Amino acid sequence: MSEVVALKDRRSGPKLRIGFLRLTDSAPAIVAHEFGYFAEEGVDAELLEEPSWANIADKLAYGFLDAAVIVPPLAFAIELGSRGISQRLVIPCNISMGGNTITFAPALAQRIREKADKDGHSIPQALADSLTGDEPLPLGVVHAYSTHNLLLRYWLATAGLQAGRDVRLSVIPPARAVEALKSGQIAGFCAGAPWGEIAARSGTGINMACSDDIWRAAPEKAFAVRERWAEEHPEALKGAVRALVRAGQFCDAPENASYTGALLSRQKYLGVDSHAILSSLPGGAIAPENLSRFYRGAATFPWRSHALWFLEQMARWDLIGNVDTQSLAARVYRSDLYRAAVAPLGISVPTADSKSEGTHDAPWSLEAAPKPIATGPDSFCDGVVFEAAPAPVSF
Amino acid sequence: MALTILLIDTDAERAQALEDKLSESGYARVLRAEGPDMAAAVERAKPDLVIIDMALPDRDALEDIRSVSAASPVVMFAGTDDPGFAQEAIAAGVCSYNLSGVALQDVRPILASAVALFQRYRHVETELAAAKALLNERRLIERAKAILMKDRQMTEPDAYRWLQKKAMNESRKLAQVVADFVALEENQRKETKP
Repeated sequence: MSEVVALKDRRSGPKLRIGFLRLTDSAPAIVAHEFGYFAEEGVDAELLEEPSWANIADKLAYGFLDAAVIVPPLAFAIELGSRGISQRLVIPCNISMGGNTITFAPALAQRIREKADKDGHSIPQALADSLTGDEPLPLGVVHAYSTHNLLLRYWLATAGLQAGRDVRLSVIPPARAVEALKSGQIAGFCAGAPWGEIAARSGTGINMACSDDIWRAAPEKAFAVRERWAEEHPEALKGAVRALVRAGQFCDAPENASYTGALLSRQKYLGVDSHAILSSLPGGAIAPENLSRFYRGAATFPWRSHALWFLEQMARWDLIGNVDTQSLAARVYRSDLYRAAVAPLGISVPTADSKSEGTHDAPWSLEAAPKPIATGPDSFCDGVVFEAAPAPVSF
Repeated sequence: MALTILLIDTDAERAQALEDKLSESGYARVLRAEGPDMAAAVERAKPDLVIIDMALPDRDALEDIRSVSAASPVVMFAGTDDPGFAQEAIAAGVCSYNLSGVALQDVRPILASAVALFQRYRHVETELAAAKALLNERRLIERAKAILMKDRQMTEPDAYRWLQKKAMNESRKLAQVVADFVALEENQRKETKP
């Protein structure tokens, strides 16, 4: 208790109100707060648990939050005013890669798995083959403007399955997804950890795929800050990024998994069984089905090519209209702020702002300074390569 | 003009109060959403306006109900012309979705009632929480004094002074010191039991 008091006394700097949801990949923000990294970096951070993405969006838009751990498509929706009033945001660092599961009700899951094994087909293909065509299959995603909606649609599309025709996508908040699956309201869902694992542990669902099965280096959560706050507090913004990168390093180290799991399981954070959280933390399981990455492979770098991929997919599914994606991506994803912030940490930083996405089936070495960064595979399930060339993009 | 309002609030008392107030005013036909599938409830009720408690995760499900709201997308809060009112609504924990494009001047009094009621209930909640905390603190102080009086043969005033001094020395709040002290003593008691 006395350490807590000591930390409080050290607090100074501007107040930064950060919203988060009860998800495993909120870990870096929680660790940075609990370990006093924010305070050390001159930021008086306050963490606010929000029950819904809608709250995160509205509170950012109306200035009740200064920042949030967010799904990047929602940050673009806020920036564009697609679901309420707009608010200019910047993303000075990424928070995590991977970590989502596509989870089906057990009977359906078994039928599809058996079919996939028998025919030697992919899971989405086996799903397509087993749909009778009477009623669209009801599946849940956590928000229209979520990575989950984009990843699930991408995965289904590899077998020619379309939302609206073959499946009916509805929005189910992550904490409600397990209960909706159990009641039969939906036949499956795509949600962030730990909810797929919680469904699996209770026998309510079986995980059919995870983020990595769709895109092996799928960016997941990002740190979004109101542009106005970022401009008013340039030093504190850098400090916040450093605190989050340091926390990302901590969360990514396998030896820290049990600590992070225990911290996140507290009632005021996720309030769920720490074992369900551990299963997708680096070092938390021997052979993880689903894994979040918080630092390795330049996981904290805000790649402009990631922004462009999200925007392309949002346009593909009519979630945004005709938008100049190049300038929007450059305005929101701020690698310049990242570089300036982490300079004092002496860590390796990618030399480019954009890269080809999906070209590597095996581990590779990413060009970075001062040293190259060992990076995992980044291929897509359909083998497509996404080129975010700075040429005009036509949709 | 009567509007159909769907009210989504798990606080039954507050929902009833709001329903009464809105029905009385004659503006509106108020429905309450039941069951877990909010989007289905909206489809059934086809409301002009949804009023929802922001503490519910169900708001995310309501974000995707464009299909029932004709061509117009979901409108948040009271519109963009009055950010002050929207801020008041958020602070009170109430959100509204305008689904049929009804004019702002028609929904304004309804929203104002909802915001006022949510504010009042929030206020009551805060007071209740403070009262509970105070009661708990008193209970713990009594318990700590009893432990000191029994184990260390202190008088009641001495026991209280001892706790006050401990708090002062550790520069912490009395409530925290007492809570820790009682937890520690009770743990030791449990461990030493055969």
